[in-house]
Amino acid sequence: MASNTMMRCGEFKTTYKADTTIFPTPWSRNFAILGVVLLALAPLKFGDFALVDDYYITLMIQIGYLGIAALGLNILVGFTGQISLGHSAFFGFGAFASAWLNNTLGIPVFFSILLAGLWTTAVGMIVGIPAGRIKGLYLAIATLASQFILEDFFSRADWFTGGSAGSLANPFSIFGYEIQGDRQYFYVVLVYVVVMYLLGTNLLRSRDGRAFVAVRDHYLSAEVMGVNLTKYRILSFGISSFYAGIGGALYAHYLQYVSIEGFDILLSIQFLGMVIIGGLGSVMGALMGTAFMVLLPEVMDAGVSVLKNTEWGNIPAITDGLTWIKQASIGLAIVLFLIFEPEGLAHRWRMIKAYWKLYPFSY
Amino acid sequence: MNVELLFQLIVNGLIIGTLYGVVAMCFTLIYKASQIVNFAQGEFLLIGAWVCWWLLTTFQLPFYAGFLMTLAFMMVFGILLQVLVLRPMIGEPIISVIMVTIGLSIFFQAIMSWMFGVFVQPFPRIFDIRSVDVLGLNVQPAYLMSLVISVFIMGGFAWFFKYSRLGLAMRATAFDQQVAQSLGISIKQMFAMSWAISAMVSALAGVVVGVVNGVSSALSFFGIKVFPAVILGGLDSIVGAVVGGLIIGILENVAEYVDGQWLHVGNLYTVAPFYVLIVILMIKPYGLFGTETIERV
Amino acid sequence: MTMRKSTFAFLATTAFAMASAAASADDIKVGNLVDFTGRTAVVGKVFGQSKVDSAKYIDANGGVNGKMIDMDTFDYSYEVPRAISQYKKWKQDGVVAIQGWGTGDTEAMVGFVAADEIPYYSASYSAHLTDPMAKSPDTKKPAPYNFFAAPSYSDGARALIQWAKADWEAKGKTGKPKYVHMGDNHPYPNAPKKAGEEYAAELGFEVLPAIQYSLKPGDFKAQCLSLKESGADYAFLANTSGSNISLLKSCATVGTDVQFMANIWGYDENVMKAAGKAGNGVVWVMGAAAWGADVPGMATVEEISKTGDPNVNYRPVHYMRGICSMFYMKEAMEWADKNGGITGPNIKKGMYQKKDWVPAGLEGVCPPATWTEEDHRGFTDVFVYQGVVPKDPPAGAEIDELMKNGDIGMKKVFEASLPRKPEWLGL
Repeated sequence: MASNTMMRCGEFKTTYKADTTIFPTPWSRNFAILGVVLLALAPLKFGDFALVDDYYITLMIQIGYLGIAALGLNILVGFTGQISLGHSAFFGFGAFASAWLNNTLGIPVFFSILLAGLWTTAVGMIVGIPAGRIKGLYLAIATLASQFILEDFFSRADWFTGGSAGSLANPFSIFGYEIQGDRQYFYVVLVYVVVMYLLGTNLLRSRDGRAFVAVRDHYLSAEVMGVNLTKYRILSFGISSFYAGIGGALYAHYLQYVSIEGFDILLSIQFLGMVIIGGLGSVMGALMGTAFMVLLPEVMDAGVSVLKNTEWGNIPAITDGLTWIKQASIGLAIVLFLIFEPEGLAHRWRMIKAYWKLYPFSY
Repeated sequence: MNVELLFQLIVNGLIIGTLYGVVAMCFTLIYKASQIVNFAQGEFLLIGAWVCWWLLTTFQLPFYAGFLMTLAFMMVFGILLQVLVLRPMIGEPIISVIMVTIGLSIFFQAIMSWMFGVFVQPFPRIFDIRSVDVLGLNVQPAYLMSLVISVFIMGGFAWFFKYSRLGLAMRATAFDQQVAQSLGISIKQMFAMSWAISAMVSALAGVVVGVVNGVSSALSFFGIKVFPAVILGGLDSIVGAVVGGLIIGILENVAEYVDGQWLHVGNLYTVAPFYVLIVILMIKPYGLFGTETIERV
Repeated sequence: MTMRKSTFAFLATTAFAMASAAASADDIKVGNLVDFTGRTAVVGKVFGQSKVDSAKYIDANGGVNGKMIDMDTFDYSYEVPRAISQYKKWKQDGVVAIQGWGTGDTEAMVGFVAADEIPYYSASYSAHLTDPMAKSPDTKKPAPYNFFAAPSYSDGARALIQWAKADWEAKGKTGKPKYVHMGDNHPYPNAPKKAGEEYAAELGFEVLPAIQYSLKPGDFKAQCLSLKESGADYAFLANTSGSNISLLKSCATVGTDVQFMANIWGYDENVMKAAGKAGNGVVWVMGAAAWGADVPGMATVEEISKTGDPNVNYRPVHYMRGICSMFYMKEAMEWADKNGGITGPNIKKGMYQKKDWVPAGLEGVCPPATWTEEDHRGFTDVFVYQGVVPKDPPAGAEIDELMKNGDIGMKKVFEASLPRKPEWLGL
C-alpha cells in the first residue's frame, strides 16, 4: 500500500484485502469521517450567528477547487514522476469548457462539470502524447510551451472563451434547485473534494496506480516488467487533466465569470508549489499544500496590517511597500520552507504523528 | 514579398538574438555545473539593471565605473545566493530546487519593485549617437555594445572551458560530481563560481536592455524567453544556447514578418517560439546540440 | 506550524476588527479597487492615490451632509478573480457604492452590480459600460449601474481621429490618410478598436490591419518595422503608458514617420520623462485639467493633494480624474441623503439630477457632465493635448522639476464636442 502510515505494534493485517484499504487504521478512518462531518457543519448559520465567518467559507471553497486540481498535478508529478508547468491551462480549459457547454449547448451545470472534466482529459492526453518521448527538464519546458500555446488558443478562440472579454458562467443547480451564495456552494465543493480524493486514493492502490509509481521510481525496470511506459505516461496526463478540469469547472461556476487572464504561468507555478510544499506522492499532502498556498497571502495580509498598527507603520517606506513586503514574504516563505522541509508538509505531519506515537521514546 | 523588411527584421532578430544567447548561456552554465534549473534568471537581469541604474543616477558615476561596480556586486550576489540558498538544497529532488528558484524569483521581483517602484525609469544617456546604421537597419549603439561584449564573452567562455584549469574543473564537475570530488576539485567552489559568472553576465544583458528600453519589472520576462532558446540548443551545451538564442531572435522577427504581411493574427511574435519549440522537441528531443543520453540498462 | 500561523492570523484579524469597529454605524461604506502593484500600476498608483486622498479631504471637510465616507481600499494587482471575491466580501459588508479600476474586472461585474444595485464608478472608460438599457446591438449586457467620469475610450479615439483629419488637411496633404490601431489583445486596448476603425473609415481614412503589441514593456522593434512598412500616417496606441514607453523608444530607433495618438491612459508626464525625445509630439486624450492649470478649481485640487501628502508638489494628469470620479459620487450621495437615504438605487438616481454638472469647488477641473437614465455617456467634450519634449530629459530628475524647467510640457491642440449619436451608444 502506498501509504506510509506508521502502524502501532500489535496492529497487523492478515489478508491482502485488509492491507489495501484506503484508511490503514480505524483511527485514521474515523478521523477522516469526523473531519468531513465538521466541515459539513461549518457553513451552518443560526439566524445571524454563523459558526464560521463568510470570508473563511470563501477561503475554504478556494482550497477545495484548487485542491482538486492540485491532486491531479500530484498524481502526475508525485506519483508518475513527470513534471508539468502547464497545469493552469488545463484548469482554465475545464472552466471555459463547463461554461461553454452550459451556455451554448444548454447542458445542466451538474453534467457540464463532468463533461468538462472529460473534455479536458482528452486535451490533456493530446498534450501527453509528445510527453511520452521526452523526460526530465525537456518535458518541463515542453509543458511550459503547451501552457503558452493553450493561453494563445484561449485568447484567440472567441467562440469558446469569449475572447479577451471572458465568458459568464451560470450558477450551479441540481434538479432545478439553484445554489445561491457561498454557503450552499460550499457543500457542492465539499462533495466533489471528498469524491475526487477518494477516487484518487483508490486509483493509487489499484494496478494502474502501482504502474504509475513504478514508472516514477525506475522506468527501465518497469518497462522490463511489462508496464507500457507510453500508455501510463499519457494516462497520467489524462487523469491529471481530468482533475484540473473538474477543479476549473467548479471555479467557473463559483465566480460565475471566466476570463483568460486568470490562467497564466503564475497559476501553474502556484499549483506546482502546492504539490511540492504539500509533499510529492501524498494525497493528503495535495490538500495541505493547497491550504498553505491559499492561506499564506492571508496570513501575510494579517501580519502586514498588524505591522501597520505598530510604530513601524509610520515609516513611509514600509507603508508604501506593504504589498511588496507581502509578496516578498510569500516568496521567502516558499524558499525557507523548502530549505528546511524539502519533503513537504505531509512528511512533517508524519513526523509529528510519529513523535506522538512513540512518545516519550522518539529519537 | 518585401525582402527589405524581411532583411531588416532578420538583422533585428540577430541583434536581439545575441542578448537571448547571452542569457541562455548563463542559464546553461548553471545547469551544466550544478544541475539546477534557474527560474530566477530573469531576475538576475532585473537586479543588475536596477543596481546599475541606481549607481548611475544617485552617485552620478560615469557609465564604466557604475557598470564595473554592478558586475562586482552581481558576483558577490551570485556567490551569496549559492551559499545561502542552494547549498542546503544539494541532494534534494530536482523539483524542490526548481521550486526554490521560483520562490526566489517571486521574492526578488517583489523586493525590486519595493525598492525602485513600478515606474519605468530611463537610463542616463550613455552614447552620444542615437543609432547606427547596420546593413540598412537603425540599431541603437547599446545593442552593438552588447553584440561586441557578447562575442567577447562567448570567446572567453570557450577559451575558459577549453584551456584553463578552472574551466576544466568545472567541466569535470558537470560531467560527474563524485569523480571530480575524488580528484580533489572543490565542488562548492565550482558551484559558487558558476553562479557568480552567470549572475555577472546576466547583469550585463540586463543593463543593455535597460539602456535601450528603460528599466522596469518587465525585464524578468527574459527569463521565460530563455527557455525555448535553451531547449533548442540543448540544455547542456553552451554553444547550443548561443545558437538557440540567435534562432529564437530571428524566429520571432520572421514570425512578425509573416504575421504582418499575410496572416494578421496579431501575436505570432510572442507565441511562435513556443510552437517551434514543440516541433523541435518532437523531432530532436535533446535539442540541436544537446548530448543524447543513452540509457544503459 | 501551520496551526500556529493561522491562530496568530485569527487573533491579529480579530484585534484589528475590534479596533476598526470604532467607526460609527452612520458611515457611508464605499469599496475602492486599486492597482498599486500589478500590470497597470504605472497609472494605477496615481489614480488610486487620488481617490484615497479625496476621501480623506471629503471627510475632513464635513463629509457627505455630515456623514463620513468609510472607504475600504483593496489592491487587487489587476487580477480579476481577486477583484470579484473582494466584491463579494464588500457586498456582504453592505457597501453602497464602489470606486473601481480596470476594464477586465469592471466588464466582468456589470451583471453583478446591476443585480445587487451597487453603483460602480470605474476607471475603465469602455463604451460598453455606457448603455444602461442595452439599446445598442453591440452591448452584451445592460449596464444600468456603471458610471465613469471621463470621455469613453471610443469617444476619445473619435476625437483623436477628428484632430488627425484636421491635421492632415492643415498640412495640405491630399489623398486618403492611413489609420492603424495598435494594442494588445485585451479588453482594455480592444475597447475602442471597432469604434475607432469605423469612425476613421467614415471620415475618409484608409484603415490598415491592426498591429498587436504587448501590454508588458519590452522590445517592439519588430512591430515598429511592420508599422513603418505599412506606411501608416496616424497610429492609435491603445495600451497603457508602460508599454507605450517601450514602443515609442523602439519606433524612434527604427525611425518611423508616424503621428502617434494615445488613449487617455496611454500617455502622461511619466511617459514624457521615460521616453524622452521619442515621446515628443504625441497627441493624447485628456479628461480633466492638468495640474497647475489656471482654473478656479485648481485650488481645491491642491488642497486635496496636500491632504494626501504635503510633500508632493506635482501630480500627473490622472490624479485630477480620480478626484472628479469621487466628487461626482459624493454629490450624488448628497442628493440621495436628502431623498430617501444613501442606498445604491438612490445614488444612481442622484447621478441623473443635474445637467452640465461640475462638482462644487472643481470648476474648470472637471468638464460639465450629464448622465441620463438611458445614456451613461457622461462626458462628450474631449480635450486633445500634445506632448512637448524637445530633448531627452536628465535621468533621475523628478517630474515637477522637469515641468518647471520646461524639459517636458504639454499644450492643448484640439477640443472636440462629440454628438450623442444613438448608433454610437455602447460602441
